[in-house]
Amino acid sequence: MATTDQSSTEQETTGQPSSEPEGGPLERWAQSLVTNKDKRDRLYKLLFYVAAGFFLVTTLFPFYWLLVLALTPNSQIIGGDWGVPIPFVGTEIPFPHPQGFNVHAFVEVFQQVPFHLYVFNSFVLATATTIIVLAIASLAGYVFGRLDFPGRGPLMLAVLVVSYFPPAAFLVPLFDAFLGNAIVVPFVGWELISAPRLVNTPGSMIMPFSALFLPLAIFILTTFYAQIPDGLEDAARVEGTTRLGALFRVIMPLSAPGIATAAVLTFISVYNEYFFSSIMSLQNQPEQWSPLVGGILSYQDQYTTDFNLMAAASIIGVIPVVIIVILAQERIVSGLTAGALKE
Amino acid sequence: MSTENQPSGPARESKRSGPLVRIVRWMENLGETGFAYFLLTPVFLVLGTIALYPLLRTFELSLYTNVLSDPEFVGLENYVQLFTGEADANLPGTTTFLPGGVTTSGSFPFVHIEGVLRSALIVTLVFTVVSVFFETIIGFGQALVLDQDFRGRRWVRAAIIIPWAIPIVIQGMIFYLMFHPDTGFLVDYLGPLGIIAQNNTLNDPASSLLIVTVADIWKTTAFMALLILAGLQSIDRNLYEVARVAGASRWQQFKMITLPLVLPALGIAILFRTIDAMRVYGLIDSVSGCSTVPSLSCMVVMTFNNSRGLASAIAFVTAALIGLLVTVVIYQQYKEGL
Repeated sequence: MATTDQSSTEQETTGQPSSEPEGGPLERWAQSLVTNKDKRDRLYKLLFYVAAGFFLVTTLFPFYWLLVLALTPNSQIIGGDWGVPIPFVGTEIPFPHPQGFNVHAFVEVFQQVPFHLYVFNSFVLATATTIIVLAIASLAGYVFGRLDFPGRGPLMLAVLVVSYFPPAAFLVPLFDAFLGNAIVVPFVGWELISAPRLVNTPGSMIMPFSALFLPLAIFILTTFYAQIPDGLEDAARVEGTTRLGALFRVIMPLSAPGIATAAVLTFISVYNEYFFSSIMSLQNQPEQWSPLVGGILSYQDQYTTDFNLMAAASIIGVIPVVIIVILAQERIVSGLTAGALKE
Repeated sequence: MSTENQPSGPARESKRSGPLVRIVRWMENLGETGFAYFLLTPVFLVLGTIALYPLLRTFELSLYTNVLSDPEFVGLENYVQLFTGEADANLPGTTTFLPGGVTTSGSFPFVHIEGVLRSALIVTLVFTVVSVFFETIIGFGQALVLDQDFRGRRWVRAAIIIPWAIPIVIQGMIFYLMFHPDTGFLVDYLGPLGIIAQNNTLNDPASSLLIVTVADIWKTTAFMALLILAGLQSIDRNLYEVARVAGASRWQQFKMITLPLVLPALGIAILFRTIDAMRVYGLIDSVSGCSTVPSLSCMVVMTFNNSRGLASAIAFVTAALIGLLVTVVIYQQYKEGL
C-alpha cells in the first residue's frame, strides 16, 4: 500500500513525467512506475499475490502445525528441536516439520478417552438444537418478513438485543434451575415449578443453545422470506389454501436456500459453542452428554503430556466443520452477511 | 406447486371436524396482528424463559448475599465490595495483572475501581480493542483480495473461512500447543526476543493475554472480511469506470469510492465484533486458564459456585457494559429507520 501511495502522490507533484534519472535506485524505480502503466499493473498483481499468499499461509499454518505434532511420536515432541533447517533460496530457514510418521496417534485418540462418544454427543446436540431453532425461527421469520403488524419493529429489536447479551449473564439462574431448584419470579418472590434436574442431560445444553442461536436464524430467515414476491402467496390464497398452508406449501419450499443457510450456521455454532458446553456437563464425562469440548479438555486436564494425541484429537474434531465449509461455503457467506447486515 | 390437492383441500376441511381442524379454522379467522403474535409465541416462550428470566434474576441475585439458601437482601453491597476491592479475597484471578504503574491504585482513568475487577476490566477491554483493531485491518485486506476475480478464489475464501468455523476449544488447543514451552516452537523464537515469557509462558499473564489476542484475531478476522466483502460487492462498478475515465489513481479510487461506501458495513461489523469480543471466555479458559487472564466472563464462571451474589454482580456489570454498546447499535438502527 505504501508504494501505491508514493506513486500516486508523485504523479500529482511531478505532473509531467521527467526522464532525467535523479536520486537513488528506489526513486528511479518509483519514477518508472509512474510513467509505465504496464509496470504499475504488474506491481499491483505482485502485491495481490503476496497478500493472497500471506493470508493463505497465516490461516492454514496452525493446521499444518497440528499435523506436525500429531505425526511426531510423543517422545520426540517434548524438548524436541523444531528449528530443523530447510533450504530456502540459497540460505536455510528453520521450518517445523514432522519428525516421524506416527499415524497410530489417530487410533490412540479413541483408545485413551472415548473420543467418538464426545463427537457423537456434539452431533446429537447440534442436530437437536438445529431442528428446534429452525422450527421456531421459520415461523418467526415468516411473521417478521411478510406480515405487517403493530409492534413489529420493537419486537425485532428485542430479539436482536437478547442475542447480544453475554452467556455469563444467564449462567447463575439457569444453572440454579437446571440443578432442580425452584424457579422464582424475579423481584416478586413467587416460587413457580421446580424443573427436573437437567444438568448432565442434553436438555441443559439444548435449551440455552436454542436461545443463544435463535436470533441469528430468525434474522436470516426474515431476509429470505421477505424476498419472495407477494404474488405467489396471494395466488395460493386465492386458490383457497389456508394461511399456514401457504406458508408450508409455497413459502417454505421457495426459501429452502434460506432454511439451509440457517441450518448450517446453527449447526456450526452449536458444534463450536464452549460456554454452556463446558459448564452444564459437570465432570466432562461422555456419559453426562459432554460434547467435543469435554473430549478435548480431558486431554488437556488428564493426559497433560500426550501432546501428539491432543493434536490428533483436534484434527479429528476439525474435520466435520472443514467438510461443511467446503460444501456449504456459499450458504455460510450469505447467511453471515444476511444475518448481520440486514438488521 | 401443489395444484393437484388444492381444489380438494378446502372442501375436505369444511366437512371434517375435530380439534386440529378447529384450531386451523380459529387461526384462519384471526386478524393479521393476532396471527402474527400467535406464530411468535414460541419465540417469546424460549427467549423469555431462557434469556429474559435469567437476566432479571441475575440482577436480583446480585442484590443478595452469597449463601445459597435463604440469602439476605444487601442492596448494592456486592457492587460496592467489587468496585472497592473488598471482595478480592473471594475472587480468583490476579490483582497485579499488568506490570508497572498500571495497577497502582487510583491511576485508572475516569473511574476509581480497585482490585480484581479492575484487572478483569483491563483484560477485557485491552483484548477487545486490540483484537478488533487488527481484525478490521487484516479483514479489510482479505476482503480486498477476495473482491478480485481470480482462479481459485473459492478455495482462498474457504481457507479464510475455516478458522472462523472451527470450535473454540480447538482454536484454544492449537494456540496452547503452539505456545506451550514443551512443544511450541514459537516460544523458542519469540522468547529470546522478549515478546513472550520464555518459561511458563502460558502462566504468564501478559504473554497469555497477547497469545489469546492473536488467537482471536486468527479466528475471527474471517467474519470481518466477509462482512466487508459484502459491502465491497454492493458498490456499483460503474463508479470505478467513471473514476478511471476521470483519471483517478487506484489509491484515489480507494479513498474516494471504496472507503466511504463500505463504511456503513464496516461500522456494523466492528460493533458486532466488539460485543462478541467482550464476552470472551472459552478461548482464555482453554489456552491459559481463567485465573491467568481473568476476563469478565471468566470471573463469573470462576465465582458462581461459591459466591452467587458476587458472581451475579460481575455478570450484571458485564451485561451493562455490553448493553451500553447495544444502545449504540439500536440508535444506529433507529436512525436508519428499522
